Amino acid sequence: MSLWVDRFRPKTLDELHYHQSLSTRLKALASSGDFPHILFYGPSGAGKKTRISCTLRQLFGSGVEKLKIDQRVFVSPSRRKIEINVVQSNYHIEITPSEAGNFDRVIIQELIKEIAQTQQVDVSAKQRFKVVVINEADTLSRDAQAALRRTMEKYMSNLRIILCANSTSRLIAPIKSRCLLIRVAAPSTEEMQTVLEHVAKKLKFDLPPEASCQIAEDAAGNMRKALLVFETLKMQSPDLSGPLNIAKPDWETYCHKIADLIVQEQSPERVMQVRAKFYELLSHCIPPTIILKTVADRVVERVDEALKADVMHWAAFYELRMRMGNKKIYHLEAWVVKIMCLYKHFTYNIDMSEFD
Amino acid sequence: MTVDSFLPTGLLGPKPIVSPPAFVSNGLLGDSSIPTLDTEPFTCISDAPHSQSVPHSSDNTSEDDAPSPGPLASSQDAFLSVSDILGLKSNFKENPESCTASRVLIHPRASLRATTFNGKLVFIPRKPRVMIPQKSSPMANLLDVPIHRLMDELSVSATSSTITPTSKPDASHRPLDDMLWVDQYRPQRFTELLGNERVAREVMAWVKQWDWCVFGKRRNKKRHREDDQNYDPEDEYHRPREKLLLISGPPGLGKTTLTHVIAAQAGYEAVEINASDTRSAQSVEDRVRPILESGSTIGSTKPVLLIVDEIDGATGGGDNSNGFVQKLVSLTFDKPKKKRNVGAQKDKRPLLRPIICICNDLNAHSLAKLRPHAHQIRYTRPADIHIVKRLREICALEGLDADTSALSTLVNVAKGDLRGCLNTLQFIKSRNEDVTEELIRRATVGMKETDVTATAVLNEIFAPLSRKRIRELAISDMEEARYVNRLSRAVEALNNHPNIANGCFAHYMNCHRHEANMTRYETANEWLGTFDIISSAMYADGDFGLQAYLPYLLVSFHPLCRERAGKRVERDSTDWDNLLIKRTNENILKSLYDGICASGRNTGANRHLIMGQVLQLEFAPYINRIISPHLRPVNSQIIKPAERALLARLVEITVSLELRFVQERAEDGQMVYRLDPPVDVFVTYDGRRAPDIAISRYAVRHLIATEIDASLVTRQTVAVENVRPVHKKTAAREFDNAEDKTVDAEEQGPLERTQSFASDPGPLSKRTRTEKHVDIADKPPVDFFGRPVTIPKAAPTSVSKAKHQMNRVFQTTYRYREGNSAAVRKAVKVASFI
Repeated sequence: MSLWVDRFRPKTLDELHYHQSLSTRLKALASSGDFPHILFYGPSGAGKKTRISCTLRQLFGSGVEKLKIDQRVFVSPSRRKIEINVVQSNYHIEITPSEAGNFDRVIIQELIKEIAQTQQVDVSAKQRFKVVVINEADTLSRDAQAALRRTMEKYMSNLRIILCANSTSRLIAPIKSRCLLIRVAAPSTEEMQTVLEHVAKKLKFDLPPEASCQIAEDAAGNMRKALLVFETLKMQSPDLSGPLNIAKPDWETYCHKIADLIVQEQSPERVMQVRAKFYELLSHCIPPTIILKTVADRVVERVDEALKADVMHWAAFYELRMRMGNKKIYHLEAWVVKIMCLYKHFTYNIDMSEFD
Repeated sequence: MTVDSFLPTGLLGPKPIVSPPAFVSNGLLGDSSIPTLDTEPFTCISDAPHSQSVPHSSDNTSEDDAPSPGPLASSQDAFLSVSDILGLKSNFKENPESCTASRVLIHPRASLRATTFNGKLVFIPRKPRVMIPQKSSPMANLLDVPIHRLMDELSVSATSSTITPTSKPDASHRPLDDMLWVDQYRPQRFTELLGNERVAREVMAWVKQWDWCVFGKRRNKKRHREDDQNYDPEDEYHRPREKLLLISGPPGLGKTTLTHVIAAQAGYEAVEINASDTRSAQSVEDRVRPILESGSTIGSTKPVLLIVDEIDGATGGGDNSNGFVQKLVSLTFDKPKKKRNVGAQKDKRPLLRPIICICNDLNAHSLAKLRPHAHQIRYTRPADIHIVKRLREICALEGLDADTSALSTLVNVAKGDLRGCLNTLQFIKSRNEDVTEELIRRATVGMKETDVTATAVLNEIFAPLSRKRIRELAISDMEEARYVNRLSRAVEALNNHPNIANGCFAHYMNCHRHEANMTRYETANEWLGTFDIISSAMYADGDFGLQAYLPYLLVSFHPLCRERAGKRVERDSTDWDNLLIKRTNENILKSLYDGICASGRNTGANRHLIMGQVLQLEFAPYINRIISPHLRPVNSQIIKPAERALLARLVEITVSLELRFVQERAEDGQMVYRLDPPVDVFVTYDGRRAPDIAISRYAVRHLIATEIDASLVTRQTVAVENVRPVHKKTAAREFDNAEDKTVDAEEQGPLERTQSFASDPGPLSKRTRTEKHVDIADKPPVDFFGRPVTIPKAAPTSVSKAKHQMNRVFQTTYRYREGNSAAVRKAVKVASFI
């Protein structure tokens, strides 16, 4: 019917395979009748969303799974129309304010207030409150977060907010203090292996332990990726025997190529080559920060110990500039030139500034 | 003076004249001008000396008009009286005797007869001219000046006019000081037009094509061949095929003047509509149509010629069907409409008058609709030398001291803009200064700077000033060294900072390549980064005060990258190209996104796959691998069970994600299957697919595509009938065990099923939606806010009704398809065959 990622996704807290203590705690919270605002955080693919939907089911029953996708249009103060997708059931609503870019404040203010000011109408509902799930909460702008903090307190009787973020560092302290912070850690290799084996058992085929181990290690704690890879491998070679050839995402391979180019040679020609490759990646909709991170990681692997700290320092420096600016390619190239400079100075071990 | 000498020079010009139209065009071509070049030719030949004096002063604009009415009027007067006396109505014979003796005996209806060099007789028809009779005594002023004095005067004026061809012998007498020179020296007649004679003639020829339609004259045999291409024999009104003329060219070259002069010359009354008038579709109806239909303006006997000036600024060009341009074009098409239904369109009369449109930018967006229907003429800049010559004449007339080099500098700076040149000169004159190069330089600061292209500015940034350019700008060594002001002004004048920044980014790597040190590039990047941060802050916060600082950030590339004999900057569109590719890919992602949204066990179940960057980072690479397994290209009937399972799974996934294989013909004529949406771009870098993905061959794709189609058919059947057994059958053949599935299905009930089928595109999804509505009719659904859910009615009620009917009419039918797994298999006993 659908991809394994979807098909074997746990629906209730009991079905979850790892972080059992977390599951019991969430269950207790859901049944206590005193459900707080919650902030789920953890790396991508650890199972935050799954846990959120399981918790919702625990709270409201299977009714939360009757979903409806709407497109809502908001008008920004500058008369621009913002469209965002809203997923909702009778009991909860799920939004991704980052779809609106800089205008996320408008959505927080208008949509959440609108929900907060109406009470639960369905008398048969298990809970008196509705839940708003905010995805990618760490990309909320300062304004939006500020708009959220008062709403969270004021409409506590009608509304609970569940935030989902990769890291808490970009959330302002007032928000964090109003939420119950729940960290969903990435599953360990063993935990992932159990999940993979569970899938194999359900599908009634044999999964060699070394294969599952390899997949789990490659995914590095990203359960979603592991399942996708697993399915890919099953499609490519149905018996899963012999040495597995786990494909990296193509953009990652490409980023590694760029890193190799940078380390191999430092010249204007090389910079132009790297630039063309950056353009190629950007045109494939790969986010520039991810590009910078992946390339920098690879460069760090390849350079001398003494340079590693500098490479990372400048990567961080230019990532900040990239976030402030608009033309990502300028900053990507600036980083490359910087690294090449550093590398040259290091390898020739002379200060060339006197040649200027 | 003998009349023999008079004949060739004064009247007939260098070539013999055959008939009036030819005569006029002849006048265009000839170098020597003809005094009263007009479609209403000669009223009379009053006096030999007079008519001879005219050609000499013909270059003259305003003064030429002054003497000519005199003799004409007087002769007319003379005619009146004498014809009264003699009652003579015969043709005017142009021979010496009659010319001198009866020079005034002309009937307004009589045509002139003249003899050419070959001795051929030529008749020149004439038009009636309404003259206001002069009160003074008819004969008096004709003879009070003796002929020898007239001759003397003539020779004096002739010599003076050879010195200054546009002779205004005494500038001090003119009371026109408050007039703009541009208006004062505007050419009044065809022969005075400057430069580009070919364009002028082309325009004239086009206008002349209307003669048959407007004046009812047959075209000349001689010119017939040339006109053939634009002559439309079908047209009952004898109009040319292209009924609009579009003249384009840079400002200040005299396009407007040209059209006005030609209109007057061809005997039209010019009606001008320019940017100062309201130009809407309504105004075409209100103003233009009446003018064109009446054929002439009030109080004038001349037919009208419409000039639409500055048409590229007209609004609503593009796609708007009610725009001004669109309406104007539709004017020319009224005829066929009229033919179709004569009764209804009776008030719409065909266009019977020429329309000339003038624009600066031929490729302006608003002209897109006009271009195919118009005869296009490009007006190019006349050679500088002609402009300089004209300027020198004017300077001489105005008593302004000007040296040629200064004038040529002026023309150069103005890029041939005659209007600009004249305005500058007048400005200088008003300050009573002499025209020197330095003065010109000062006066023209800022003139025409907007015409500079981004490439030119970039070259200025990246290359040191060339000797030529230094001379052109006339700057000293000191000033040459100071680049900041000069360059920042150049960047500012272009007013396209992002473009310049992009150009700098594209090019800075090309400079100083030999240097081992990369610090230069580092610094350049520093500047670029700062530029980007400031400019994005400017746009994000709307703080446009920052704009003033932007040029200076780019100027810094000059000292960094300036290099003699460096590579020239060329237009670099890499950035733009990549942006376009990115947009395409974003659209692909969007359609993939929609597919994923609809897939999954229930609506929105897969949404965690599309959050943030997961889609392009994790999902897109892997889905490509999932949908391209190793399959052997064989008939679907004979493949191994394992492969069949694989195929079934593959089909299931592709269908649920709304991926399709579309058959297409490639450029080389081969049939190929293309993925739609083409998500395989995300594994294609540098034009190469990832090596670990098997290249799926045509046969394999064909196999998959057939299966997908079959599966779609099945789904459709299921959706229409909503019968469970059939669904179970397809489910049973699935890759995975059926139990799990049916449990799911049981749990979710029919509602979810229809929802998941809603992923099917087209009318099917609409149908399922209406069904859903019926299904939950007994329990009205409420949304999150507690409001009753109203299903957006994509289809009107009548359609849904029809669908209900369809549901009733259709019985369960099975279609057996040869060699297709979509066929329903049924256990049949042998007995049934016997």
